[in-house]
Amino acid sequence: MTITVCIKWVLPNRDGDERFAGISLADQAAVETGLSVAEALNDTCTVVTVGPPAAEASLRDALACGAHDVVRIDGSADTDSAETARLLAEHCVHSRFIVCGDYSADRGSGSVPALIAARLERGQALGLIDVRIVGESLSVVRRLDGGRREKLSIVGPAVISVEGSVARLRRASLRATLAAGEAHINVITNDGSGALRRNPETVPPRPYRPRARVVPSPSGSSALDRVRQITDTSSSKGHGETVVLSPEDAASRILESLRAWGYLADSAT
Amino acid sequence: MMTSPTQHDADIIVVGAGPAGSCAAIAAARAGKSVILIERGPFPGSKNMYGGVVYPRILDELVPSWWETMPVQRWVVKRSTMLLSDSGALNIDFRANSWGAPPYNGATAYRPDFDNWLANHAVEAGARLVCSTTVTGLLRDSNGRIQGVSTDRPDGDLHAPIVIACDGVNSFLAKQSGLYPHTDASNFTLGVKETLALPKHVIDERFGVRDNLGVDIEILGGTSGVNGGGFIYTNLDTIALGVVLKLPKLAAQQKRPEQIIAELKRHPAIAPLIEGAEVKEYSAHVIPEAGLDMMPTMVADGMLVAGDAAAMCLAAGIWLEGVNFAMASGMYAGQAAAEAIAKNDVSSRGLSGYTDRLEKSFVLRDHRKLRKVPHLVLSDRVQHKYPAFVAGVVERVFRVDNPHPKPGVRRIVREERKKAGIGLLDLLRDGWTGMRGFG
Ligand SMILES: Cc1cc2nc3c(=O)[nH]c(=O)nc-3n(C[C@H](O)[C@H](O)[C@H](O)COP(=O)(O)OP(=O)(O)OC[C@H]3O[C@@H](n4cnc5c(N)ncnc54)[C@H](O)[C@@H]3O)c2cc1C
Repeated sequence: MTITVCIKWVLPNRDGDERFAGISLADQAAVETGLSVAEALNDTCTVVTVGPPAAEASLRDALACGAHDVVRIDGSADTDSAETARLLAEHCVHSRFIVCGDYSADRGSGSVPALIAARLERGQALGLIDVRIVGESLSVVRRLDGGRREKLSIVGPAVISVEGSVARLRRASLRATLAAGEAHINVITNDGSGALRRNPETVPPRPYRPRARVVPSPSGSSALDRVRQITDTSSSKGHGETVVLSPEDAASRILESLRAWGYLADSAT
Repeated sequence: MMTSPTQHDADIIVVGAGPAGSCAAIAAARAGKSVILIERGPFPGSKNMYGGVVYPRILDELVPSWWETMPVQRWVVKRSTMLLSDSGALNIDFRANSWGAPPYNGATAYRPDFDNWLANHAVEAGARLVCSTTVTGLLRDSNGRIQGVSTDRPDGDLHAPIVIACDGVNSFLAKQSGLYPHTDASNFTLGVKETLALPKHVIDERFGVRDNLGVDIEILGGTSGVNGGGFIYTNLDTIALGVVLKLPKLAAQQKRPEQIIAELKRHPAIAPLIEGAEVKEYSAHVIPEAGLDMMPTMVADGMLVAGDAAAMCLAAGIWLEGVNFAMASGMYAGQAAAEAIAKNDVSSRGLSGYTDRLEKSFVLRDHRKLRKVPHLVLSDRVQHKYPAFVAGVVERVFRVDNPHPKPGVRRIVREERKKAGIGLLDLLRDGWTGMRGFG
């Protein structure tokens, strides 16, 4: 069994200029985690991406850092999450640990690792902020809502996703960088049966465009009070709400709120 | 000095993928030599700045029909020299529409685009480009001979019989190898630039150009009393506006460069050109200004120095050309290095084809011819007295002062010369130096 790291190569907004393309800090942390785990468990580490030929630059970086193998599954840079997970899952079947970044450089929702876990029926621990290798298993810390933390011990096979702060990607050696520049990259293309398709039930992805929050004018008597009112993070003014609902009602409520906050187009269901 | 190919990672290591480095790599790789081109930035050009105009004629030799693929902002068809006094300006314009068609003359281009494009040619020629890697020193054998370079990467030593230093102004490689006898701050100027965004049609209207045609304006005066000059170049939808300031004067006057740019932008002759523009970028870089007087020894056993690393930028008043000098010297270094490898002699004698080529080409010939010009242009008289003198003369020549009759030009010149505090002998001497310098 091997360790598989899944990364997403992203073109930036600047006219899709490939010079500024790359992977997120979380994906970099995933590569480092995958490499460290493979070293500790005496396994091999494979780095996989779904993307166009230009994505091979990031795979070469991973090779230079020490990945044993890299695979590019041919696909467009904006393949949707479900399809990306399907393609990746096919290549992760024999992996002991599948390591992903918690978010991609285009601010994805981090759903791909969950979808991979679902497809492969594996355990999952997502949004990790600390990963330690203890014997044959991983001791991890997961971020929960409300500032809480969850400590888990994971024995593979499992899917994990890590935040960018978990690890800093090592600097590749010069020789490995030169060799990676000329290395062969395995490319897997769709044979037609797995043609990309969009699930009609999913919400169409939109660029990340968080709404500006309307802040009422401050009303303190002194300038300091007014500045405090706007900037103080200790006063609670979030719109968080705890409700107890059935799963169906909860889903509708979440969609309703997302729509109200502007994250979903009005027509999206 | 023979090479021992078995221990080497490449025939030639080129440090720096600026215009000099990429041209060195293209020339050497085309000659069949194995080349590693090392760049500290994440991609070639990512760390580089300049005013904005390249004169790529020399590329005819390396990239035929370069104009078909080069990432150009605008083709320069209009060159102006602007003499600024406190509130006046004398503008001398030249326009050549033929420069707007093949084979062209000069173009404005962004360095991250231009340098990246040129480096891609090196890669196509077979050079191996390694980015995000900083060369930290020279490797020498027990006899002190240069054997390669060390870098900031783990396992980062690379061995090659020849290193070409194209690491730009203040080259620490050239210094480390002892090729620079001394560094004197008075040989350098500080170039600072703002990139100002304006809609394309506004730039077209204000500068009298259209389509992808553009303007190059060199400015004398307008630098708030600090010796130096300025420039304005048009890109498609931005304007590059900058000043070049003599370092010791800048330090002595305790002025901030951004303050000097701000004052230049307020000058009545400049303000209407940039009104409403949004500052997109502010950058600064040192320029080797003293030309021939500061050039290091350019050849050592196993090493060549090219481009700004060898102080080859030509900064002589109406000319601010560094990229073409860098490209040419890089190309000659690459050719000479390949020749030396073929002869199996990488000693300074084996590499002397480099200096031969420089001597025969425009690179050293222009520098020799214009040797005195940088000093003249940056001298206190030219900087502080002549712009006001010339502007005063022209203002009076064109002023209509009826009912008084027009005064004779000779009288105006004499009076304005005295007003500006310029002695007749000094004027004649500077005129003579200028005539000889500009040839
Ligand atoms: C304000 C200003 C305006 C100018 N305007 C013009 C103009 O309009 N037209 C013109 O022709 N010239 C102009 N010049 C001059 C021109 O920019 C230079 O002459 C030219 O860039 C020199 O090219 P080069 O390749 O020698 O050096 P550079 O362009 O400086 O390239 C050096 C390269 O080496 C890399 N490097 C440096 N050290 C290391 C290291 N240790 N390891 C690895 N890589 C390293 C750098 O990242 C860089 O890519 C201007 C300069 C300035 C500062």
